[in-house]
Amino acid sequence: MNEVMVARGLVRRYPADGAPVHAVDGVDMAVEAGETVSVMGPSGCGKSTLLHLLGGLDHPDQGELYVAGRRVDKLSETQWAVLRRRSIGFVFQAFHLVDELTAVENVELPALLLGAPSRDARRKAMELLERLDVNERANHLPDQLSGGERQRVAVARALVNDPLVVLADEPTGNLDSRATGEILALFAGLREDRQTLLVVTHDARVAATADRLLSMRDGAIVAQTRLDARGNSLGALARLVDLGGDR
Amino acid sequence: MRSLRIASRLAWRNLRRRPGQAVLLLVTLTIATGTLSAGMWLSGSADGPWDRVWKATNGFHVSLAYYHDRGAPKLQLDRALRRASALGEEPGVVAAGGPWTLLDGHLDVGRESVDLTAEIRKPGRSPVDQPLVTAGRWLGAGGGIVLESGLASALHVGPGDTVTIQGRPFRVRGVAETVSVGRFPLSQPAQVWVTPQTGREMLRAGMTGEGFDLQLRLADPGNASAFAAAHRSIETSTRSSTMFLETWQQRRADSHSDLDILIEALLAAGGFIAVLTVATAAVIVTGRMAAETRRVGTLKAVGVTPRLIVLMLLIEYLGIAALATITGLGIGRLLAPRLAATSLTILGPPEPPLSWPRVGIVAAVAVAVVLLGTIRPAIRGIRHSTLRSLQSSARRPKRPARLARLAARIGLPVTGVLGIRSAWRRPGRLLTNAAGLALGIAMIVVALGLSRSLDLLALRFAEHPDALSGAAVDALYKQVRAIILGTAGLLLALGTINAFIVAAFAARDGARNHAVMRAMGATPRQTAATLIVSQLGACALAVGVGIPLGLGLWQLMAGGDLPRVEVSWTALLALMAAVPVAFAGIVSIPARWLARRPIAPQLVYE
Amino acid sequence: MAMRDTILGLLAKEPAHGYELRTRLMRALGPAGGALNPGQVYVTLSRLERAGLVRGAEIEQTAHPDKKVYALTARGQERVEDWLADVTWSKVAPVEFHLKLVAAAAAHLADPVALVDSQRLELLRQLRELQDVALGEPAGSDAALLVEGAALRLQADIQWLELCERQWIEREST
Repeated sequence: MNEVMVARGLVRRYPADGAPVHAVDGVDMAVEAGETVSVMGPSGCGKSTLLHLLGGLDHPDQGELYVAGRRVDKLSETQWAVLRRRSIGFVFQAFHLVDELTAVENVELPALLLGAPSRDARRKAMELLERLDVNERANHLPDQLSGGERQRVAVARALVNDPLVVLADEPTGNLDSRATGEILALFAGLREDRQTLLVVTHDARVAATADRLLSMRDGAIVAQTRLDARGNSLGALARLVDLGGDR
Repeated sequence: MRSLRIASRLAWRNLRRRPGQAVLLLVTLTIATGTLSAGMWLSGSADGPWDRVWKATNGFHVSLAYYHDRGAPKLQLDRALRRASALGEEPGVVAAGGPWTLLDGHLDVGRESVDLTAEIRKPGRSPVDQPLVTAGRWLGAGGGIVLESGLASALHVGPGDTVTIQGRPFRVRGVAETVSVGRFPLSQPAQVWVTPQTGREMLRAGMTGEGFDLQLRLADPGNASAFAAAHRSIETSTRSSTMFLETWQQRRADSHSDLDILIEALLAAGGFIAVLTVATAAVIVTGRMAAETRRVGTLKAVGVTPRLIVLMLLIEYLGIAALATITGLGIGRLLAPRLAATSLTILGPPEPPLSWPRVGIVAAVAVAVVLLGTIRPAIRGIRHSTLRSLQSSARRPKRPARLARLAARIGLPVTGVLGIRSAWRRPGRLLTNAAGLALGIAMIVVALGLSRSLDLLALRFAEHPDALSGAAVDALYKQVRAIILGTAGLLLALGTINAFIVAAFAARDGARNHAVMRAMGATPRQTAATLIVSQLGACALAVGVGIPLGLGLWQLMAGGDLPRVEVSWTALLALMAAVPVAFAGIVSIPARWLARRPIAPQLVYE
Repeated sequence: MAMRDTILGLLAKEPAHGYELRTRLMRALGPAGGALNPGQVYVTLSRLERAGLVRGAEIEQTAHPDKKVYALTARGQERVEDWLADVTWSKVAPVEFHLKLVAAAAAHLADPVALVDSQRLELLRQLRELQDVALGEPAGSDAALLVEGAALRLQADIQWLELCERQWIEREST
C-alpha cells in the first residue's frame, strides 16, 4: 500500500456576500501509486479546487495533505515550487502553455527548472514529444497548434520530470471528440505504464478510464467506487449487437 | 451619431472606474503642455516692455556707432563725424540724436572695478533716444550723472548716492532706462550719461575718448533694414576703428538673450517630454485595448464592436488631452511671469502676447501625442477583432532564438534564458519601451554636457576681476543650470514613471504565463527575475541608443556662447552603470507584486 | 417487461383499481402519457393476475358497476424489489428508468438518488469495457465505428442520469 498522496479533512473557504462558501468541505482521500483516480461531480462541486489544493496551487484553510509521506499543507511558495518540479505534473483544461515558447521549449521547461543541463532537457523533451506523436510540431508556437496537439504537448510537459503523480483538470474540456479520443488513448497508455494519475472531469468517457472513481458534491466526496474492468469484453460486444426484443 | 453617444458614455464610465491610468497619462501630458506653454508664453514677452521703453524714449530706428582705439589720429575721428552727420541728412531721416561722444573708463566698487562708458549729452531734450528717467532727474544744472537702470540696481544706488569713477566721487543725479544700450550686467560695459562739463572732468581723471554714437529716426520705422542696407557703405572695419549700423529690430531681438535661452530650454524640454509621453500613451492604450476587448463577449450583446472601442478610447484620451492643454496653459501662465522676473535684461514686467495661435499649438501638441499613441493599437484593433491578435502576439521564430540557446548553453540561469526568450519574441514592444527610455537617457547626456560647459564658463568668468557683474552673470548661469538640471530631473522622473508603467503592464500581461511557470515549479523569485530580465533588454537597448543620441544632440546644440566640451567619460560610464540598476529597481516593484499573486485564480478556465 | 414492472411498482404504494392506476401512470409520464394506450393498463393487470403477481378483489358499489381493486401478492412484492435493484439498461431505458424512480419515491422503497448513482456506475463500467474494446480495434475499422457509436450513446445516457440526480436531489430538499 504505497500512498502517493493523502488528504485529510481538507477545507477551502471563499468569502462571499454573507456566509463564506465552502468550495472544499472536509475531503478525505488517498491516491495510491500506479492507480488512475477520477473525480466526478456537477460543475461548482469543488473538484477543480480540490485539484488545486492537491497540487499546491491553492492552500487549504484547514486539513492535512501528504505527498509521498511528507506533510506539505503548510509549505511556503518556494518549497511548493521545488516539490512541484520533482513530483507533480499538471494538465489543464485551457492547456496553459507559455505562449512565447515553442512546443519543445514548453516541454523542457520543468526539466530546466529542475536543473537538468539544457542538452539533456531538450533530448528528453523531444523523446516525449515523439512518444506522444507530436514531435513534428516541436518548433511551433502554441497558437499554431490544434487543441489536441496542445494538450498532448501539455501532457508531455507534465511527464518530463517523471513525476510521482500527474494531476489533470478537465483535460478534454476544450477538445473535440476526436482529440478527446486521442487523450483517452493517451491516458490508457499512462495507466498501463502505471503512472499515477488523478483526473478531475465531468466527461464520462474520461472518468471511465480510471481504476477508481470519486464522486463529489457540494465540496465533499460522497462516493468512492472501483471501476475495474470485469474482463467482460464479450458482454460488451454482445450488448452492442442486441437488436431489441423483450426479456 | 448614436455610436458617438454610446462611446462617450462608455468612456465616462471607464474613466470613473479606472482613473489610475488616465491620471498618469494626464500628469505626464500636463507636464509637457505646461512646459511648452511656459516657453510659448515667455517667447516674445520681453518685447512688450522693450517696446514701451522704446516708444517712451523716442527710440532709434537706425543707430550708427563708431569706435576707435586709444591714440587713433584725430583726423580719422573728424572724418567719421563728417560721414555720420551726412547720414543724418539723408532722405527718409526725420530726426537725429547726437553724435554723442563716448568716453571709456572704469567704475570702482569696493576693490573691484567695472568697465564704464560715459555718453556726453548736450543740455536739453534729444529728439531721438531721450532716456526715460525712473528715479531722480535728468541731467541739468547742478551737476551729477545719470546711471543706466541696470547698473543702478546692480550697485544698489539711487539719486543722491555717490559712485567712484576713475577714483573720483561723482554724485548720482538720476536713474534712467533706454533701449540704445543693453541692460547691465548682461550687457557690458556699463553706461552713464554725463554733461559736457562732467565729461571734461572725467577726461582729466583719466578716461579716454573711444568714439561716438548717432541715433536716427526715419519717416517709416519699417524701412529701417532697407535704409541700413542702402547705406552699408558707411560701415568700416579697420585695425584701429569700427563703424557699423544697427536697426531697432536687431537690437530688440538681441536684447534679452538670457530669456531666449530660457525659452529655448523650455520649448525643447516640452517637446522632448511630449515625445516621451507618446511612448507612455502607446503603452497605456495598448493595454487598455486588450483589456477592453477581452470583455467584448459581454459587450457584444450591447452592440459594441472593436471599432466602437477605439472610438471610446479616442474620446477618453482626447478628453484627457483637452484637460492637459487647459491645465498646462494655466501652469504656463502662472510660471511664466515668475520665470521672466529672474531675467536680468527685461525692461519691466513681462507682457505675454495673448494669441490663439499659441494656445492652438499647445493643444495641437497634446492632441498629437494622444493620436500618435493611439494609432497603432487602434489600427490593429480594428483590423483584427480576435482577442489573440490584440495582445501583441509572439512572433513566429524564423530561426531558433540563437541568443537564448547560447545563453542556455553558457549556463545562464533558467530565469535569464526565459527572460531573454520572452523579450526576443515581442520585438515591437521591446522597441517601444526602449525608445521611450532612450529619449530620457539622451536628455540626461545633454544635461551632463550643458552642466559641464556651464561649469567651465563659470570658471572662466571667475578668472576675470569683474566680480560685480561676474556675480550677476553667475546668478544667470546658475538659473540656466537649474532649469537644465530640473528638466533632466523631470525627464528622469518621467522615464521612471514610464518604466514602471511598462513593467506593470508587462507583469499584468504575463501574469498567466508566470502562473503556469509557477505551476511547473518556478519559485516566486524566479518568475520575478524573469520579468526583470525581459525588461532589461529594453533598458540595454535604450542605453545603447540613448547615449550616442544624447552625444549627437549635444554636438548639435553646443556652440554659440557655450564652450564646446565633451561629456566626460566617467560621467557616461556612471550613467551606463546607474541606469540599468535603477531600472531593475523600478521594475522589481511590479515584479514582486507579480510573484506574490496566488496561482490558482490565474489558471481557472474562464 | 416495462409495462408490467411499472404497474407492479405503482401498486407497491397501495392497492388500486385500474382507473386509478391509469391516472397515476399518466401523472408520472406527463405529456408522454398521451401516447399510452388506455386499454393497456387493464390488459396488463389481467396478465399479472394470471401470473400470480397481483390479486384482484371485487368491491361492491351501489351506483356504478363493480370495480376490481388490485393488490400485490408476496411474489409480486419480490418482483418489485428485484426490478428496482436491476440495473440492466435497455433501449427504451429513459422512460422506464424514470418510472422506476417515480415508483420508488412514491412507495418509499428506495432512495431515487441512490438508484441513479448505482445505475450510473453500471453505465460507467459498460463504457469502460467498450473503451477497452475500442483500444484493441484499429482506427477507422467498422468495429471501431460501432463501438464509438455505442460509447457516445452511453455517454449521453450518463449525462441524462446526472440530470435526473440533480432534479431528484432538489425534490428531496424541498
